[in-house]
Amino acid sequence: MADDKRDVPRPFDVRTVEYLLKLMSEHDLAEIDLKEGDQRIRLRKGSAIPAYYPAPLAVSQPVSPVGGAAVSANSTSAPSSNEPKAPSTSTPTKKLIEIKSEMVGTFYTKPDPKKPDFVSLGSKVTPKTVVCTIEAMKIYNEIVAGCSGTIVEICKSSGEYVQYGDVLFRVDPG
Amino acid sequence: MPMFQRILVANRGEIALRVIRACHDLGIEAVAVYSEADRGAPWLDFADQTICIGPAVSAESYLKIPRIIAAADVTGAQAIHPGYGFLSENSKFAEQCRASGIEFIGPPVDAMDRLGNKDKSKTVAKAAKVPTVPGSDGLVHSEDEAKKFARQVGYPVLIKASAGGGGRGMRVARDDASLASGFHAARTEAEAAFKDGSVFLEKYLDRPRHVEVQLIGDQHGNVIHLFERDCSLQRRHQKLVEESPSPSLPEKVRQEMCAAAVRLAKAAGYYNAGTCEFLVDQDNNYYFIEVNARIQVEHPVTELVTGVDLIREQIRVAAGEPLRYQQKDIVQRGHAIEVRINAEDPANDFRGSPGVVKTWRPPGGPGVRLDSHVITGYRVPPNYDSMVAKLLVHQPTRAEAFAVMRRCLREFIVEGIHTTIPILKTIFDNPAFIAGKVDTTFIERELMPAKPS
Repeated sequence: MADDKRDVPRPFDVRTVEYLLKLMSEHDLAEIDLKEGDQRIRLRKGSAIPAYYPAPLAVSQPVSPVGGAAVSANSTSAPSSNEPKAPSTSTPTKKLIEIKSEMVGTFYTKPDPKKPDFVSLGSKVTPKTVVCTIEAMKIYNEIVAGCSGTIVEICKSSGEYVQYGDVLFRVDPG
Repeated sequence: MPMFQRILVANRGEIALRVIRACHDLGIEAVAVYSEADRGAPWLDFADQTICIGPAVSAESYLKIPRIIAAADVTGAQAIHPGYGFLSENSKFAEQCRASGIEFIGPPVDAMDRLGNKDKSKTVAKAAKVPTVPGSDGLVHSEDEAKKFARQVGYPVLIKASAGGGGRGMRVARDDASLASGFHAARTEAEAAFKDGSVFLEKYLDRPRHVEVQLIGDQHGNVIHLFERDCSLQRRHQKLVEESPSPSLPEKVRQEMCAAAVRLAKAAGYYNAGTCEFLVDQDNNYYFIEVNARIQVEHPVTELVTGVDLIREQIRVAAGEPLRYQQKDIVQRGHAIEVRINAEDPANDFRGSPGVVKTWRPPGGPGVRLDSHVITGYRVPPNYDSMVAKLLVHQPTRAEAFAVMRRCLREFIVEGIHTTIPILKTIFDNPAFIAGKVDTTFIERELMPAKPS
């Protein structure tokens, strides 16, 4: 059948399950929940063993990913056709809030090379706290946290360009 | 100005792929922007860089000027190609690009403004001695005035209620007698229906053909035409089929229309690609209606008959190069036809048919061209227009083009979504279309409601 020859994994295809398991271990995910049309697959590792989200800097407590950003954030990492979306999973441990970019531009962690960073790991933020600037066309836009909590992850480096939807920070609301 | 190193494509789907290809053909890098609905889309694989510019809704992504300009800025793109639709005829966008030091691959802002406006463009046309649809240029207050105008422009005329709309409040008059009775009746009806009896007159074009002329100009004042396309087959003002040359258009009329289009473009100071649209009546009188100041969906029809890569020329012109061709170099060879294939269900009032394309087996062979972003497994999103492919054939004669198109439509296998292929098959078996005798009312008169074959 023509179907078997295509490279697009379907939810109940062994190749898909193998691929997903590989993704899960590469990114240290405890659970993936994927939906495409009316088909859905959910894979959960072990029992209550917390998974550590990969981060370049130390994380203060074990967390589970929210929003499935690891699976769908990078458009080039998956099979060539449209990727299925990964909706947020509910987990017994804390949820983190993601501060996402609504702009395209260059991300800066400080207002000025000589000044200190706006925030760092462990900084407490409130909705109006300025966390970074994003520069586009020589205009520096101050980005506010829009939530309350503690910065537990800084996802982009100063000077990197960001797209719409990129996760900039993760905040622990607890 | 040296040639661009990197161009940003501010569009999606087949035209984004088309522009990416043209960039790569010139050794230029392509940056593609995309919305969240197009994440993972197949054409993005061919871009050198991709930037997500917003959520699915166009207003927040493909129409979001600040993010698009920022995307060009952060990726170092020196120019933006707007494609068609979206921001392609938005003069504010063109202005902002250029003000930001990014070249907009299209016409100059003032030419876009002047020709983009139906009213203003008529003024430019009249000044360039290009015929426009004659109108009474104001209200008509008496039967005598009406008669005077009708005699001037020639019957038939259309009596229009100025407060009317949606096809209401219009009457056709074919001679003095019907004009007299029609005029009074129209005023009475308008008064009753719209509380305003004002009427004006326009020449009535009975079942006109839609014939447009492709133009391209450079920044050195050269403008050439690339002959015409006949786009008479339309449904609700959406083109279904386009061909070149226009069948049954006398050569003299063709030459006049093409020359008129060039005159108009030059008068407006136009450069880069554009199309001058005309209506042609049953007596082969042509009337200017408007200019599309951008590259169009059906540009490949012209590319096939003239052998010119229009997107490549657009890029060259935007980089400041003089036109590669002179008017005498442009010749129409053979006959080309394009059909637009939409993800729509013809059996259900052409309702959109988004979803996953389970099988995609397009036709091929000599003189067959497919411009499409679709691959097997592609999920057609519901958020944008429904066109999934443009299928073109180019053959030595119109009859051969028809034979090849019929064969291609039979060969084309698509499963998982509905397409308009069945209705296209019907169209290519229609005797009037085969004889080249169709007009803009044809589809709705003859084929609706139609059963797919």
